[in-house]
Amino acid sequence: MSDDAVRAYGRGRRFSDATMQRWLRHAAPDREAMLQLAERLRLGENQFRDLLDVLEDIASRQESAIATVIGTEPVAAVLARGLGRNETLRALRHALRRRRYPQLVQAETAMADLARRLRLPAWTRVEWPENLEGDELSVTIRAGSATELRARLGEVAAALARPEVDEMFRLLEGE
Amino acid sequence: MTPWRPDAVCIERSELDTPIARTVRERVPSSMIHLVDDARAVTPGEFAAAKRVLMVQRHRGEFLRYCPAGTAAAVCCNYLVLSLANSCPFDCSYCFLQAYLANNPALRAFTNVDDALAELDQVLRAHPGRMFRIGTGEWADSLALDPVTGLSRFLVPFFAERPNAVLELKTKTDSVDELVGLDPKGRVVVSWSVNAPEIVTAEEPGTASLADRLVAARRVQDAGYRVGFHFDPLVEFDGWEDGYRAVIEAVFATVDPGRIAWISLGSLRLTPPLEGVIRSRRRSRYVLSGELVPGVDGKARVWRGLRIRMYRSLLQQLHAVDPRLPIYLCTEPASVWQRVMGEAPVDRQLGTRLLVRTTW
Repeated sequence: MSDDAVRAYGRGRRFSDATMQRWLRHAAPDREAMLQLAERLRLGENQFRDLLDVLEDIASRQESAIATVIGTEPVAAVLARGLGRNETLRALRHALRRRRYPQLVQAETAMADLARRLRLPAWTRVEWPENLEGDELSVTIRAGSATELRARLGEVAAALARPEVDEMFRLLEGE
Repeated sequence: MTPWRPDAVCIERSELDTPIARTVRERVPSSMIHLVDDARAVTPGEFAAAKRVLMVQRHRGEFLRYCPAGTAAAVCCNYLVLSLANSCPFDCSYCFLQAYLANNPALRAFTNVDDALAELDQVLRAHPGRMFRIGTGEWADSLALDPVTGLSRFLVPFFAERPNAVLELKTKTDSVDELVGLDPKGRVVVSWSVNAPEIVTAEEPGTASLADRLVAARRVQDAGYRVGFHFDPLVEFDGWEDGYRAVIEAVFATVDPGRIAWISLGSLRLTPPLEGVIRSRRRSRYVLSGELVPGVDGKARVWRGLRIRMYRSLLQQLHAVDPRLPIYLCTEPASVWQRVMGEAPVDRQLGTRLLVRTTW
């Protein structure tokens, strides 16, 4: 596939010169893999640039090529699933994030698992900072009256005494 | 390391007889020197090209400023920056100057050192009871231009006579020839930014190798200086733990731990504009591929838990060498200090504490 096809795609989507230069600077197999991805998902410039950022970072981290990242699991599996455009994009971002932030995603998964193990009632929500970039957990309790709130608070307090809560804080501290 | 030499030098005509300009004229072939009326009017070219031409000019403005890295969100070490040069001949892939000086990338050495020292003297005399830590390595490498300008010959004697200030010369060079013949009288710390060998090779082109930096550190220790080390930026990459262990082993195989003034640990931090510049220049192998996420101050850093793990790992190794080493974290919030160091000093407290091992 020629650079003409890349340029034609960029022209059709009104990509900026800076983005086109970035795209064309890559090796031919990577340019082509990005073009196939762009055409398949009808990527606008911001979407394209965001994906290119992540793909470049993963390729650098893994000392591989962008085409290799796109052509192997789990990205290839997402593209082969036959989902609609928006669902594919969402699943792709999710899969790429797992590759881009392996340790962070592992910690987030462990955090979610610990939260599940607390078996808190549906009217309670435990939240942690985005990207685990913070040192606080928050617990939200919904209630329709003062009496209900007091009762639920007691119920949650018992659940929060479990060791999983200590483990959640330890995760935030990098342990 | 071969001392840096410019491709060309532009000297402001009015500054020709200043000590700095005279030194430059002695050390650089006259065929490379051009006289200009106002260096600010010279178009420096793009960032990398601008580093090859040295402007020798008068500084119009204040010389002394607070360190720009300090923010309300971070524990600050109360550092002051003395601006005697702008930009740096090296081109580290992660350098914040790429974004900070994007529109004005000229490499400048200032001639009116006497004005700078007069301004500084006024501040030091106005606050005789306060101890100041002052560095020249924020907007420039403190020693990279020394083989050309001989700036250290003016700075070291000045600080040697000041009872309430310590100068830090921060560098990635081994250019210490000027320093070893001077007597700092306990008032000058020469510090090196150190990094894992992989990072030095891939991300710090033109700088001295780690081994050369450490040999230079030993030379200045033997000449009566205290030394410092900045493990900054700590970069998260596959093998970081071994990489930084190798640095620590190399440091303490070469220098005397008892004559270390301070050691800082600082995680890689990237503002969004800097990240954009790094992407567009495509010169980085490791910097963008770490697990970086945006923090509360807008800068991307390795996510907090991993950052803490990295700090603890280095701290443990450093404490194994000498538990009394004065170690601090750069631009980290109190909560990270607490988790890593077991305490979170207030700003003034940290600055004062870091001065304890600089005088003797």
